[in-house]
Amino acid sequence: MVGVAYDCLANPLGAVRSTFEKAIASGSDPASFDGRDWGAVDLFRNFLYDDGGLSQVPILNSASIRWVQPNTLVRFRGMIQDMLGNEFYVGAYKDGSVWRTNKFTDVPQFPVDSTPDMRLWERRMLYCTPVPGQNSWAESSNAVMYASMESGTQQKEKRPRVDAEATDNMDYDVSDNGIEGSPSTKKLKENGHSTQQSITEGTSSGMIMAPDVNSGSLPCLIKIYDCLESDLKLNEVFEFVGVFTFDSEFKEDKDESDDFTNGFSEDVLVHLPPNKVPRLHCFIHRKLAVHDFLPCSPTNEPKPNLVKEIREALLRHLTAVLGNDGIAANFMLLHLLSMVYSRAGTVAVGKLSLNLTCLSRESAPVFGTQLGLALKNLLPFTQCISLTVDYLNTASLAPRKDYETSRLITGALQLAEGSHVIFDETRLEAGILNSVGVENARLLKTLIELQKVEYDFKFYKLDMPADIQMLVLSEGKSNILPADVVLPFHPSSVASAEVTTEALEAWRWYLATLRSLPHSIDSELQKVIENDLVAARQEDRTLGTQDFSRLLTMGRLMSMSFGETSLSLEHWQMVKELERLRRERLK
Amino acid sequence: MASDSSPADFNNGPSSPDDSLSSPIGNTFSSPADATYRRRRRSITPSEFDTPRAQRSRFAASETTPTGTRRANGHSAGPAPTPSSTDGDVPPSSEGGDGYGMDEDRPTFVWGTNISVNDVKVAIVRFLKNFRDESQWNTESEYLTEGKYIEAIKRVIEMEDDSLDVDARNVFDYDSDLYAKMVRYPLEVLAIFDIVLMEMLPIINPLFEKHIQTRIYNLKTSTSMRNLNPSDIERMVSLKGMIIRSSSIIPEIREAIFRCLVCGYYSDPLPVEKGRISEPTICLKEECQARNSMTLVHNRCRFTDKQIVRLQETPDEIPEGGTPHTVSLLMHDKLVDAGKPGDRIEVTGIYRAMTVRVGPTQRTTYIDCLHIKKSDKSRMLAEDQVEVDNTLVGNSEEILFDEKKVEQLKELAKQPDIYDRLTRSLAPNIWELDDVKKGLLCQLFGGNALKLPSGARFRGDINILLVGDPGTSKSQLLQYIHKLAPRGIYTSGRGSSAVGLTAYVAKDPETGETVLESGALVLSDRGICCIDEFDKMSDSARSMLHEVMEQQTVSIAKAGIIASLNARTSVLACANPSGSRYNPRLSVIDNIHLPPTLLSRFDLIYLLLDKADEHTDRRLAKHIVALHFENPESVQQNVLDIATLTAYVGYARKHIHPQLSDEAAEELTRGYVELRRRGNFPGSSKKVITATPRQIESLIRLSEALARIRFSESVEKHDVIEAFRLLEVAMQQSATDHSTGTIDMDLITTGISASERMRRESLVSSARNIIMEKMQLGGPSMRLLELLEELKQQSSGGELHLNDLRTAITTLASEGFVAFVHGDSVKRI
Repeated sequence: MVGVAYDCLANPLGAVRSTFEKAIASGSDPASFDGRDWGAVDLFRNFLYDDGGLSQVPILNSASIRWVQPNTLVRFRGMIQDMLGNEFYVGAYKDGSVWRTNKFTDVPQFPVDSTPDMRLWERRMLYCTPVPGQNSWAESSNAVMYASMESGTQQKEKRPRVDAEATDNMDYDVSDNGIEGSPSTKKLKENGHSTQQSITEGTSSGMIMAPDVNSGSLPCLIKIYDCLESDLKLNEVFEFVGVFTFDSEFKEDKDESDDFTNGFSEDVLVHLPPNKVPRLHCFIHRKLAVHDFLPCSPTNEPKPNLVKEIREALLRHLTAVLGNDGIAANFMLLHLLSMVYSRAGTVAVGKLSLNLTCLSRESAPVFGTQLGLALKNLLPFTQCISLTVDYLNTASLAPRKDYETSRLITGALQLAEGSHVIFDETRLEAGILNSVGVENARLLKTLIELQKVEYDFKFYKLDMPADIQMLVLSEGKSNILPADVVLPFHPSSVASAEVTTEALEAWRWYLATLRSLPHSIDSELQKVIENDLVAARQEDRTLGTQDFSRLLTMGRLMSMSFGETSLSLEHWQMVKELERLRRERLK
Repeated sequence: MASDSSPADFNNGPSSPDDSLSSPIGNTFSSPADATYRRRRRSITPSEFDTPRAQRSRFAASETTPTGTRRANGHSAGPAPTPSSTDGDVPPSSEGGDGYGMDEDRPTFVWGTNISVNDVKVAIVRFLKNFRDESQWNTESEYLTEGKYIEAIKRVIEMEDDSLDVDARNVFDYDSDLYAKMVRYPLEVLAIFDIVLMEMLPIINPLFEKHIQTRIYNLKTSTSMRNLNPSDIERMVSLKGMIIRSSSIIPEIREAIFRCLVCGYYSDPLPVEKGRISEPTICLKEECQARNSMTLVHNRCRFTDKQIVRLQETPDEIPEGGTPHTVSLLMHDKLVDAGKPGDRIEVTGIYRAMTVRVGPTQRTTYIDCLHIKKSDKSRMLAEDQVEVDNTLVGNSEEILFDEKKVEQLKELAKQPDIYDRLTRSLAPNIWELDDVKKGLLCQLFGGNALKLPSGARFRGDINILLVGDPGTSKSQLLQYIHKLAPRGIYTSGRGSSAVGLTAYVAKDPETGETVLESGALVLSDRGICCIDEFDKMSDSARSMLHEVMEQQTVSIAKAGIIASLNARTSVLACANPSGSRYNPRLSVIDNIHLPPTLLSRFDLIYLLLDKADEHTDRRLAKHIVALHFENPESVQQNVLDIATLTAYVGYARKHIHPQLSDEAAEELTRGYVELRRRGNFPGSSKKVITATPRQIESLIRLSEALARIRFSESVEKHDVIEAFRLLEVAMQQSATDHSTGTIDMDLITTGISASERMRRESLVSSARNIIMEKMQLGGPSMRLLELLEELKQQSSGGELHLNDLRTAITTLASEGFVAFVHGDSVKRI
């Protein structure tokens, strides 16, 4: 694009319109834009990536929503928590003799009602939430940059957010109802309905489904245009860039609408009123990997000696955190690097869950907390679940579809790829599991064994693949969560580990980057490994496929931890030695 | 809007039956290129075919989207718009400018299309009158039988029904052009369909006054819910899905009657227009003419039933990482409550869009249902129609496999290596164990159940027991089969009680009635019941299985209920050896600790032993290394995906019922005799029973299953040979007498092998001899150890244990020959 005549940041819709007009003027038939773009997305792609505009785009979160203006360009980072299906909308229509478009907006710029010339297009709706368990350091760096702006717009904070078109109604005071956000003032006036009633209804349904905007975690309804279905999957983490709308035009008119329309109107949307959940009309989406969450990613290539240095330092840190237990630290390092990289049938290859045993009631709080804190600083998404009989009996671990609201109710196990979860089993006491508890225990077991979570769709269950690093802390070997590696934990000291920010950043980068390295093995070493496995099995008949799998996964992770892409004999020997030490402990 | 009804004769008049504005079809606008013509369109209400009432109710009176719908265009509607449509997908009219200067005999076209009302009408009449099924062609001559649909119409009249089901495939076969038009412009074509019916009815039965609707079903192509897109709007679509929610029944007003509050005058019935009823502002009675006095009289209005149903994708259509899509269905009249939440249905209807109040630009979509068909719930179709009563529906035979699929399956069945290919496809990630997989395959396909007139029943289900060392992927096999099986329960022996498996009687907390609750085995009737950890099951639970596994029923006699429930299930059980690892020196029974009576009910018993074999170890190591470092896809090749496999098994179970050929029967007899003879070694006095009548039943079942695998209607000789081989492979592992190496069914049935029995007998007799020699009647007692020494001296070679001797002496004691004194000493009496 030569010379951007419009402000992509402040008036993205203007940009959309002008490209549309340009496309129409050049003789294109609006019908040819069914399911494809006319150049608007390219414009934004140029602006964002080629001209480096991305960093200027504010990130939408619970803090920035106070000052971000509607109909401006924002980005949103979040996990796809639910998919709300497709929505048909009037994409292009003729206003008089001029073609207009409604793409990337909910509110038509010109009235649509009477025109017969229109094209129906479709868009996908995704319900996104902030990634569960996201640590504060992984929040966007831009937040700081805009903090000053926020204080500058302090006076706006308490004001209801309204659409630009409805600004004249801003003085309509609804604050005595105790609700933030103005529900549909304009329409209410027009229809002369009881404000009170509408508002209470609006909020009651909003309360169920949509977390309050001010509560810290901000969900967002993303509308995606012209994209392949396979691009976006449930539980994946994305960055969406698009037009932000926070529609105060919305009203809920219970009285007028007859039963017929009620039954059809997207009941999903009824529970996600636009004055509670912001909408984002997405131009560009980008899948985020862990390293995208690093505040400032060192762009340097993984140099062998640098990687080695970082590895040594991190290992020292983990050893300190783990009370000077070197073997545990080594396993922990491998565990933190693990990820599912392929699936063969039901087998998830590459996972390495770790079970630290011998943690007593006394030592668990000490090391558990310390470990939890350390991991929080290292990984972007971490969670800690304390398993008790009570928890198992009451928690809803698996997501469940609620057909009343047509929403997927999230569960504790709906997690983004690469999340880390600590299961603290040390407080588990003898007790009776009810049916929920049994089901939950089964879910946990499937998750750790197959890396799958069964989502409950009431009439059937659906397996969703997961990729979650699981660390189990327990007194004896855990039976609810049979981990790949069971290691008795032998701490010898309690030391508080002091770390510098630079070191932390290096470690984060290390863990994020090395995980995704490609990996292979040459045929010679393959022979060596095969021979080793056969020999081991001849010696000990109890060795099974799982043990072999574990060894191979460890081998891969070990060489990966040195930043290498192919397994060397030396690292294989290290793995065998590590395994030997572990077995000794188990005796 | 336009209300001038020009007298239209039949040929050019019946533009649309629902252009009276009561119907949404009538109030939707197409898009003429020039907007100025829009307002001048007028509709024709053919006077002699006044829109039937019931017809209006079909399509909901609602504000449908103004796009995409074409309406019938009146023949004399002035300068009719050029059908240069704005919809890219509308084929331009073949007779461009059809509207201009239309004179009376120019054909009438449906707005914006090349559909000539007349042509379509003629085509429909022709179809209804002349279409005959293939079967009708074959049996009688064309002139003797009436067309299929003429018969159907007569039936409808007899039944006083209000709808006529029309198979879309019939339409396609007869007139593919009509089919194409019907799918593309369903509203218009169906309206014409209805008119044609209206005309035909009085001819057949002049007294019949009801209106009959056409319900189209069985479209040639079925859309997936995911692929519905804007171009499908206003087209006829067919979808499969599962009902997740039904609204309550909504009464929808069709005609309203008002009464004047002042004078009590009742108005004429007012139809719904554009989804609204306009209340008269002035009393229509001339003397009264009071203003705003009209009030609705509810009980004189006419209402129809309406229901909104949410349909959701079935799990098999959901791609990985997606959530199921849903779509709303609008049901009217008879379709209301035709399906309940949880039902899987196939629906045919018109996809429509409607404005929503949320925003002026959004549209919500729904399917206006024409026809719904329930499909089977089970994953794999298990019925072999033996006892299923077919009273349900006479004419709508369920077509569960479409022809293309069946062709595909048959093609597959013709391949020479289909048996091996299926074996490979079964749990491809579980490595090796080919013979076990073959056995499991036979179990999936199953044999023929037989019921003799005398009432004797022979089960067709094959029971399999897997015994093996830990970590030999037994459970994975079980899980896999469970996933594949038509119906089935997966249960673990450890947590199952007898009643949990079979059935139990419970008191209903509310009514106090005793009710029967089905257990796992009853629930998996006609399926496979997978029982893990069979050895850890309590004895009482296990004893319940005796009846199930041979008689295939569960009998209950308690609390005033005596019942026999069907449990025609195959049992797939797996067990660990008693001392965690299989001890090859002990018999199977000793290893699994199962009562022989139960064990003999298994057709195949596989031992999955973890042999210390370097070769297999190496293969395992290779497999795992490959899994980790290579593309896992390359590891498993040429396998059928699970959906195909399920369809294949399902089709075979339903449609293939092989019979034994003479040759096969002969081979079976020969083989059986051979098997029994094998026990008699020449020159050996040992008698080993190698086969029992149960085995021959197993063999028949296995051979039948093998024939089914090939989609063959007759059991051939090689099936029998393979069945023998399978039995032998399984038996050799499980029924090997470890001291002789021969197959020994006694080992299974009594737990003691023939050679063992002989050894014991000889021990008893030699012990008797020694005692006769050494001990006097009533003389001093002798210690067992001394006796052992004596025996060892006499019978050189062969190990002798104190325990064996003790057993022998016990036998002697039971004969009254000796007696134990002081526990360890023997005394002759």
